[in-house]
Amino acid sequence: MDDLIIQLILPLVILQLILIIVALIDLRRVEATRGPKWVWILIIIFGNLAGPIIYFIVGRKG
Amino acid sequence: MQWQTIYKKEMLDHWRHFKWIWVPIVFILFAVMDPLTAYFMPIILESAGNVPEGATIDIPTPSVGEAMIMSFNQLNMLGVLIAVVISMGLISRELSTGVYELILSKPVRYSHYMTAKFTAMMTLLSVSIILALITGWYYVTVLFGDLAFTQLLTSAIFYIFYFMLILSIVMVFNSFLTSPGLVAFLSIFTVVVLNAFTSIFDHVITWSPMLISDYIGTYIFSGEIETDLYFSTGIAIIISLLLLWLSIILLKRQEMH
Repeated sequence: MDDLIIQLILPLVILQLILIIVALIDLRRVEATRGPKWVWILIIIFGNLAGPIIYFIVGRKG
Repeated sequence: MQWQTIYKKEMLDHWRHFKWIWVPIVFILFAVMDPLTAYFMPIILESAGNVPEGATIDIPTPSVGEAMIMSFNQLNMLGVLIAVVISMGLISRELSTGVYELILSKPVRYSHYMTAKFTAMMTLLSVSIILALITGWYYVTVLFGDLAFTQLLTSAIFYIFYFMLILSIVMVFNSFLTSPGLVAFLSIFTVVVLNAFTSIFDHVITWSPMLISDYIGTYIFSGEIETDLYFSTGIAIIISLLLLWLSIILLKRQEMH
């Protein structure tokens, strides 16, 4: 049972991590964001699944 | 030739904005979330405590079909929302920032401009939907039992046409509005109204494209494709093409003002 949980949940955790990392890379690259960048770092890291999504949708300027 | 240039430029834009990474991942997580929580619900409740001594909770485990439909339902809500939001600025943002004038200062045909953008976004969405549903299917078969892969793939292909309709609605609003937010709002509003309308008159308009996911549900349960599924998908394709045509006309008129 425990093995199954790990096997199924681990890939999802990895996907979520990729999402966070890509969002942070993008945040580093863009010149301007809506609102201060450090707030976006917090949102991306602690915002769970919604954090990176919200950043990708409304974070960038232009 | 010219069409391909715009298409490639759009694809490159989607790469630059990491859409090719985050949209598939988000769709996959949506598709997997519900079947997974449904499976682990008894364990979650047990470890969360708060259950009085001696109380037994009987949560029926969903069947394979029900679990698979959970994936579709998630995409129906959140997937559509994401699809609308990532395409809300496709043209409207270029209209408001002046990029549009820049592009049309070159000899570009409106129809090429519109259809290339549409196809590029559709490529991204189709790949995301297929990947998400295959992952969802994998989790469902591991947790709940067997479901034929061809059945899932057929459902996924029908399902893509539902998204094609959504995207063409977004394109219409894109073609004459300059505010991406307004485009998203009006598109979602339209989808909600169409859904409400369909659910009120669903015994009359059995061909409504909004019923595609319902028919996919019956297909997953029974294994047989009803004619209604073909009809509603056919209507979805026709309406999408008409809307695309309409949006090209509206875009031309925009230029004359």
